[in-house]
Amino acid sequence: MADMAVQSDVMEAAGPYDRAKALSAFKLGDATFYWITRISAISVLLILGGIILSLIVGAWPAMKEYGFAFLWTQRWAPSADPPVLGALGPVYGTLITSFIAMLIAIPVGIGIAVFLTELCPQWLRRPIGIAVELLAGIPSIIYGMWGFFVLGPFLANTFQPLMIKIFDGVPLLGAVFAGPPSYLSLFNAALILAIMVLPFITAISVDVFKTVPPVLKEAAYGMGCTTWEVVRSVVIPYTRVGVIGGIMLALGRALGETMAVTFIIGNSFRISSSIFAPGTTISAAIASEFAESDGLHQSGLILLGLLLFVLTFFVLAAARLMLLRLEKKAGK
Amino acid sequence: MTDLSVSTSTPSHVAHAPLPEAPPKVTARNLNFYYGEHHALKNINLTLGTNRVTAFIGPSGCGKSTLLRIFNRMYDLYPGQRAVGQLMLDQTNILDPKLDLNLLRARVGMVFQKPTPFPMTIYENIAFGIRLYEKISKSEMDDRVEKALRGGALWNEVKDKLNASGLSLSGGQQQRLCIARTVAVRPEVILFDEPCSALDPISTAKVEELIQELSEDYTIAIVTHNMQQAARVSDKTAFMYLGELIEFDDTNKIFTSPGDRRTQDYITGRFG
Repeated sequence: MADMAVQSDVMEAAGPYDRAKALSAFKLGDATFYWITRISAISVLLILGGIILSLIVGAWPAMKEYGFAFLWTQRWAPSADPPVLGALGPVYGTLITSFIAMLIAIPVGIGIAVFLTELCPQWLRRPIGIAVELLAGIPSIIYGMWGFFVLGPFLANTFQPLMIKIFDGVPLLGAVFAGPPSYLSLFNAALILAIMVLPFITAISVDVFKTVPPVLKEAAYGMGCTTWEVVRSVVIPYTRVGVIGGIMLALGRALGETMAVTFIIGNSFRISSSIFAPGTTISAAIASEFAESDGLHQSGLILLGLLLFVLTFFVLAAARLMLLRLEKKAGK
Repeated sequence: MTDLSVSTSTPSHVAHAPLPEAPPKVTARNLNFYYGEHHALKNINLTLGTNRVTAFIGPSGCGKSTLLRIFNRMYDLYPGQRAVGQLMLDQTNILDPKLDLNLLRARVGMVFQKPTPFPMTIYENIAFGIRLYEKISKSEMDDRVEKALRGGALWNEVKDKLNASGLSLSGGQQQRLCIARTVAVRPEVILFDEPCSALDPISTAKVEELIQELSEDYTIAIVTHNMQQAARVSDKTAFMYLGELIEFDDTNKIFTSPGDRRTQDYITGRFG
């Protein structure tokens, strides 16, 4: 009995003490955790700021030399004396290839996702899903080679002559699909880009389509909707934030993709009305010229890089705006 | 037994003499249903009377929701589920594999356990269904939407915010929106799958009242776990157990003098 009493005395004395100690250990852990996460988050801002700053410093000589005229000058003659540099060609090429790529990739990508989640028989689901994932895993240099050796010749020999013939003489479209056919063209690059960004759109769309509650779809089917109507009016509106997120990710990749595009776009700074003509993009221009550039030429290329940065920023901002407007329209 | 014919807000025509037999709207003969190998419904024979409310009660898993989902072929969405037997909606064979499902579902509407407003405005939630079947002008559409919302006893609460999202409504309002949406398509039969199980008592009372009103124009089937609810709203009640239809009779009779021992045990709360 006495022993027991003594023991419980000790326990009582030890109890609160130990608990406070244990808690203080937790507190230290909490504080550490807080600071680690905080520093990680802040480092993102620092890195981003540092990159922007160094781009601006590098681009400064070119900015001083050309000013805003850089934006609408088409001529790119780095070996002239003094060098004449203008960004219009690469900016145009970047926008047009990304635009065409998204035009193709969005419907096809979402279409694959709809098929996989709503229509596909069970046994076919995995093979197609895996194929799409593999598509995302192919290195971009391989897309470039394939585009150069396979897709380019096919388009130049078969597809482009056909389109040129069909649209010959049609106002506007005749100029867009004008000849001569070319292995290296904006259109080829856009097609490759479309294939490259497709998996992003599909994978994200599939994931968000799966979050639609089955009962919501049943409710729509229960009103007599066809699968198309269910997808258009229920599934896509319900998941629009996620789908648009996927599209933006894809667009970001398309705008910045370098290697594959450099292979097949032809690196011409001249702007042509035809999408079958060679062109260039910002990243392709930088990749193909940076190694042998110096002085003002190099500064001009860095300025191009800064421009791509700004371009991407505006595209993302526009996407945000679109999302807000969509939400307003849906009555939130 | 009379303690079961409930005191709370009993709508006027309950605890009433049974209504006269109505002409049959939906008729099931030897209806069987399978989830893959599992035999979920066994030899169901019953008739839903035109403009009558038929309640389906029974413990969880007895097959009452399954039966409801045959009436509009909802099970067709899922591979491996099949129904065998005969199920007629007037002269139409519901189980006919060549049947146009969209048309069937326009005739047989469904309201679910959880409110399922579509991700669009209140107005669009109603107009959406109408647009599937009819091409009408904007002003006609406005009329139809108002009529449907009045039919769903929701008009007064939402008339000033038709462009707000359907999801911004409370649970009870959402459910009435779904009922209005179903009514807007002008079906002949409306299926309610536990329509009040996610609602508070006041919303439940409103929905029950609505069901009573709807029965003047529609044939109604309602699955419910709430026996008072079955007693309050229905004309006929079907008691199901382990995939079989145990008893099917006037609601009054089922709740006062059930013919089967199992029915009596269930409604008195001895199991289930």
